[in-house]
Amino acid sequence: MAGALSGMITERADDDALAGYAVPDPAADLFAAAPAPVTAAWRRMAGGLTELDPEGLAPVHERLLREALDLGMTFRLPGESDERPWPVSPMPLLIGTEEWAGLTAGLIQRATLLEQVIADIYGPQQLVADGHLPAAVVAGSPHFARKMRGVSPPKGRYLQVLAIDLARGPGGKWRVLADRVRLPSGIGYALENRLAVSRTTGSLLSEINVRRLAGFFAELRAGIAASCSRDTPRIALLTPGPYNQSYPEQAHLARYLGFPLVEGRDLAVSRGRLYVRTIAGLKRVDGIWRWIGTDMLDPLAFNAGSQIGVPDIFDAWSSGELAVANWPGAGVVEARAFSAFMPRLAEVFLGDKLLLPNLATWWCGQERELGIVRDRLDELVVSPAFGVEVAGLEGGRTRPGASLDAAERAALAEGMARRPIDYVGQEVVHLSTTPALIGDRFEPRPFTLRAFVARGADGEWVVMPGGFARLSARGDLRTSLIGEGDFSADVCVVDEVPVEQLSLLGSGQVPPVRRTGGMLASQAADNLFWFSRYNERAEITVRIIRSLLGSSIEVDGGSGRGEGSRRLLVDLLVRFGAIPPQAAGLRLTKLCAGAYRERELSGGVAALVSAARAIGRNLRDRVSADFWRVASRPKPRLDGESAQAILTATDAAIDRFSALSGLSAENMGRSPAWRFYDLGRRIERATMICRITRQMAAEGCTPDDLGLLLDLFDSQITYRSRYLVGPVRSLVLDLLVLDPANPRGLAFQLDRIDENLADLPHLGEGDLPEPPIRQFNATLARLRSLEADGIDDRQLQDIETRLLALSDMISQRYFLQYERADPTMQDALLA
Amino acid sequence: MTASPAVRYRVKHVTEVRYDALVKLARFNLRLKPAPWSGQTLLDYRLDVSPAPKTIIEESGPFVVNVSRLSLDKPTAQLVVTSEFTVDVDRPPPDPGTAAPTVAEVRRDALKARGLSAAEPAPYLFASPIAAMAPEIGDWASSHLATDNDIVSAALALMKAVHSEFTYDSTATSVKTPPLEAFRQRHGVCQDFTHVMIIALRQFGVPAGYVSGYLRTIPPQGRPSLVGADATHAWVNVWCGTELGWIGFDPTNAMLAGNDHIFTAMGRDFADVSPVDGVFIGGRGQRMKVAVEVTPLTVFAPNEAP
Repeated sequence: MAGALSGMITERADDDALAGYAVPDPAADLFAAAPAPVTAAWRRMAGGLTELDPEGLAPVHERLLREALDLGMTFRLPGESDERPWPVSPMPLLIGTEEWAGLTAGLIQRATLLEQVIADIYGPQQLVADGHLPAAVVAGSPHFARKMRGVSPPKGRYLQVLAIDLARGPGGKWRVLADRVRLPSGIGYALENRLAVSRTTGSLLSEINVRRLAGFFAELRAGIAASCSRDTPRIALLTPGPYNQSYPEQAHLARYLGFPLVEGRDLAVSRGRLYVRTIAGLKRVDGIWRWIGTDMLDPLAFNAGSQIGVPDIFDAWSSGELAVANWPGAGVVEARAFSAFMPRLAEVFLGDKLLLPNLATWWCGQERELGIVRDRLDELVVSPAFGVEVAGLEGGRTRPGASLDAAERAALAEGMARRPIDYVGQEVVHLSTTPALIGDRFEPRPFTLRAFVARGADGEWVVMPGGFARLSARGDLRTSLIGEGDFSADVCVVDEVPVEQLSLLGSGQVPPVRRTGGMLASQAADNLFWFSRYNERAEITVRIIRSLLGSSIEVDGGSGRGEGSRRLLVDLLVRFGAIPPQAAGLRLTKLCAGAYRERELSGGVAALVSAARAIGRNLRDRVSADFWRVASRPKPRLDGESAQAILTATDAAIDRFSALSGLSAENMGRSPAWRFYDLGRRIERATMICRITRQMAAEGCTPDDLGLLLDLFDSQITYRSRYLVGPVRSLVLDLLVLDPANPRGLAFQLDRIDENLADLPHLGEGDLPEPPIRQFNATLARLRSLEADGIDDRQLQDIETRLLALSDMISQRYFLQYERADPTMQDALLA
Repeated sequence: MTASPAVRYRVKHVTEVRYDALVKLARFNLRLKPAPWSGQTLLDYRLDVSPAPKTIIEESGPFVVNVSRLSLDKPTAQLVVTSEFTVDVDRPPPDPGTAAPTVAEVRRDALKARGLSAAEPAPYLFASPIAAMAPEIGDWASSHLATDNDIVSAALALMKAVHSEFTYDSTATSVKTPPLEAFRQRHGVCQDFTHVMIIALRQFGVPAGYVSGYLRTIPPQGRPSLVGADATHAWVNVWCGTELGWIGFDPTNAMLAGNDHIFTAMGRDFADVSPVDGVFIGGRGQRMKVAVEVTPLTVFAPNEAP
């Protein structure tokens, strides 16, 4: 053990793993072309991976994919609603100190240049006036926001963070494929890839001196904060919502950076300032990292039909009170046509050549360039100049000229004759390969690299030491984040000697001690509350099913119980909407399987679990990865309709619910978020106790009825340890309703509700308790005045009604009174 | 084309919005005040909003358009906006002495213009939110827009083709009908005809803008009644090269925009110049009633304003 710690590992013979790796042209492979110290790191990495599991590399890959899934790493392909597991490869791309330094300089130069181009377009427009940039290239960009001209960002910073796609050519020269200024998608996946790989590979990454990523994210955060006007700014990540393609990534970033994740409806503008609606009222927002396109940000300033934006947010940023990363309209430079002008713009602004050239590009809006593209069509690829679909390039796809048949050539020629401005020709990209783990061996695969650049605390550019690589056996790697059949890999910068490392939490000044974790948006509180209510309701329904089939400690089990008692439970299932009334007469197993699988009726287990999961999607940034993993699984499958199968499924479901309660109890801080989560569960459970007790312990109930009731609330053991007699109504009622020590009893739930309410923020004026507390005090007093002997249906019903009223009051007081802004209809009187 | 006499108009445009429930908060963009444009002079303008809004902010842009931004924060169930102005229109037809450039020359000149301002051609070359590109419309229009045709004749021929092949039908389309759908039906109103003609021109690289405005109500003697009476109107501005600049073509009435046309705003399509849009919170349903009166006050000889 001591030997391992003293760094002797590097002496091991581990260069076999890449021994069989062969490429036709060493210069065209990242590993084969690397200088000796970097090659050693490659060999150590590959060797280390093979040592991880005696069974070989395949199990390591599997473990990594499982790790990725556990981290909640998923993605969606455009047009698909289901999330797919994230395809990550265990073998990172390794880049040495010197090569990385060259890339870094080129990336920073490009970010600097893009910043100046954007500033000119939204400022003096001198580039256009001087003829360096055609007006049509700017006007044609779908992300040019005319309204933003003259609206300058705080400290003049249009860009805070961007992604740049790079390709390594066969000769080792790097080229820029695309600038991603609107959304640096992949930045969260880069972080997660690293997390998954380092969790799977133990100390391997530190053995080969991989630079850590945390410092970059700390700088990114500090950089946005530096653009805000207040010293300790509140910065939110603005998401289009859980159905967006990259929502999992956004949620992960928000959680990692400690930014609240908000949707447009969480925000409001008042007197030129932006606020978030929280459980403690409106709170000012100083900066946003937006993952919403400019056009959708403000229905009053841009697209009038936008339902995901914030009315008048334009006023907040134009008054200088709001930092926005990146500044609205910055995406104008993403259009492919810009690539044709970047070399010239570098001369104009920097008096220098591009350190990282982009693909040679010819914009057909110029006669000479149009001629070149026509003449050399077979050597080039043709793309839409502005990313929108154009005649002759179906679906807006890039096509190699050589691949076009006669009819396609004619259509393209016709399109280019009518609107040459819509087309660019570009040189064909040839990609280097990198060793990728395919099955249990390393094989060369072509790759592209997405690098990330952000402004740090002092406004200077910082490059993420790593990135996101996309690998593919075939196909065009230049389009989206990841496509069908592609996979991703971590990118590691390796130094010969270890470099001083920063972690996100440990850099810079120590902030003042805080006990609460930021603010809680009303919408998030609402989601937490209902998430736990749905889960609790699902749990009790599952427990009813289980009791019906009998899994209790009664030797005779459920089927031995009186027919009358079972009818009472079936009646409850009907009343909860778990089964349709006509199903009540079915065989018990059929009826139970039906209740478990019911999706249409709102009370079915399947329906409740899927409602909880739908709300749970919104909670991704609020809960731990473990919690999310459990919460986001579908309900356990039910195979067949035998009693045994149903019991197996319901037991697994109960385990799931217990895991969630355990994780929330042990892992969530007692913040307002937890309070709302717990309130939801307690109110639901208390209501259910009232309802089920009224059903099962009515006047004249049988011992079988009471036995089932104890079962349902897990109180059989407690009862038996206290009393030698079988179930007696008053004793059972005392245990389930009045005993404050029974965690499944009513009194216990009410005490927890009381504690939770007392801990919520106080909004009202003066010292008067909040209305929900006043209302609840009366409920509590009502319960405490009861005696076990005297409990009757009316009293339980009264408490039940009061609990439902409490739920409404909490919702009115703390949750967003959902204020959707509807578009005004447009003037229809047209001649 | 002979010059028609210049005219002074009084225009009154009343918009009434009723909500089914009290609206807690509402924001409007009104684009009712005529923006400065050649051939007309705005003499006075008055905007009256009831109930009185908390704020009215006057802005112009980002196209050739004035915007009044209203913000209402008192609960209300109805809103009445009255926009009234007096304007002199003296818009002579294009000078026949200036030779019109060819379609190919216009396409080239449009790319040479070094500016992005709202009256430059570049902003009007591309697909816009409503006027999406449609090669189908381009194919239909291609015979009129051959590269060697002079631009004014080409636009006139295209305008006449829209007028003769499309049926005016105020029930066929709504304000939300996509232009391509109206094109396929060959039915619609001024907005649809204007969008179709804009798309056709842009399909050939000719800059084209959407003009919103009004049309003279009372037909002059001996001339047929014009469609568009008592309503807002729309037509196409075609950029005809650096010399001629923008010329208005009205496909609904198959005529050039002259002294019967009162210009309010120009944008890429209806979305940029829509007279009223905005958001509200709280009300459920909404109904809108619009009434327009265009009254010619005096008729005078060109260049001799009274």
